[in-house]
Amino acid sequence: MKMRIGCALLLLMPLAAHARAWKVDAAHSALTFTGTYQGESFEGRFKRFDAKVNYDPGDLAHAKFDVMVDIASVDTANTERDQALPGKAFFDTAQFPRAHFVTTRFRKATNGQVLADGTLSLRGTSKPVTLAVKFAQAGPGATLEVDTTLKRLDFGIGSGDWSDTSMIGNGVTVHGHLALQP
Amino acid sequence: MLRNTETRWGSVAQAFHWLIAALVVAQGAIGLTMVELGTTPTKVKVFALHKSIGLTVLALVLLRLAWRLAQRAPREVPMPRWQLAAARTSHFLLYVLILALPFSGWLFNSAANFPLEWFGMFHVPSLTRGLDPVLKAFALRAHVVLFWVLVAVVAVHVFAALWHHFRQRDEVLLRMLPMSGKRRALPRQRALP
Repeated sequence: MKMRIGCALLLLMPLAAHARAWKVDAAHSALTFTGTYQGESFEGRFKRFDAKVNYDPGDLAHAKFDVMVDIASVDTANTERDQALPGKAFFDTAQFPRAHFVTTRFRKATNGQVLADGTLSLRGTSKPVTLAVKFAQAGPGATLEVDTTLKRLDFGIGSGDWSDTSMIGNGVTVHGHLALQP
Repeated sequence: MLRNTETRWGSVAQAFHWLIAALVVAQGAIGLTMVELGTTPTKVKVFALHKSIGLTVLALVLLRLAWRLAQRAPREVPMPRWQLAAARTSHFLLYVLILALPFSGWLFNSAANFPLEWFGMFHVPSLTRGLDPVLKAFALRAHVVLFWVLVAVVAVHVFAALWHHFRQRDEVLLRMLPMSGKRRALPRQRALP
């Protein structure tokens, strides 16, 4: 029954002039990443981030993501690594405490995949980044899955002595899972 | 002779003994040095080397024990009962320590959630489900304490071997030395059957 009301609401939604603003349920959301270290992959997450989500699958023209990440909240389940990551050679959180991602436009790939182009500012460097977006309405709420792959060296993370990609891989996949509430 | 004889350790047992001895000494030197290094890629590489050698020691000790148990040890060199007991106890302790040391290192590495590769060639599984701060602290303490106990027992072992050789002039050391097949310790009186 709830589903049905949700579906009915969904049908009415495209009538709205602006893409819908959602509240992010932080307790059920996660911003995670997978890197490689010494030939093995490891998982990390940013415990604190703030995401503003305006999204309506029927109105991509007005969709917008604006995400602020507290970089010092990084957690990779390894004490030594978590002590090293905020340091100058890596995220340098003393100088760059936050990362910021904001979308510039949304588009649909030929296979129907929604893509969000935007700019990521991280460690003093801004680069264009494209997210693959999956949105699923669930009752009155929704879930949003976003994925992308970054190159750590593009942002000078692990520069100098640590730039050896055989020890720390350059590619880092990033995944965001957002629980959205109306 | 690959196998042990009545009077001498075979070449396989000798190879295990000296190879593991060399690796354990290297491990001690690397281990004491590496903890003083600053956080650099060099430190990561030296730690990786220490872990790889440690895993090698663990594997070699297991093989060595299998070889040791699969055949007879050489006949005991005649000596007073207390010496025999001391020798047996220290040999038993040495086996336990050279197994427990790499194992505690592996456990520490697992509980700290560090990667583990054998010389960068293959992945070695973790003994824990990721980070475990309590087990990590325990394993590190065990690793350090076991190391210093090993240093003490090795000191006794080396002193005893040299004492037997130079003071007692028996074959205890010679029968573990590869090139001494034709050399003999000074003849001693043996109980004849």
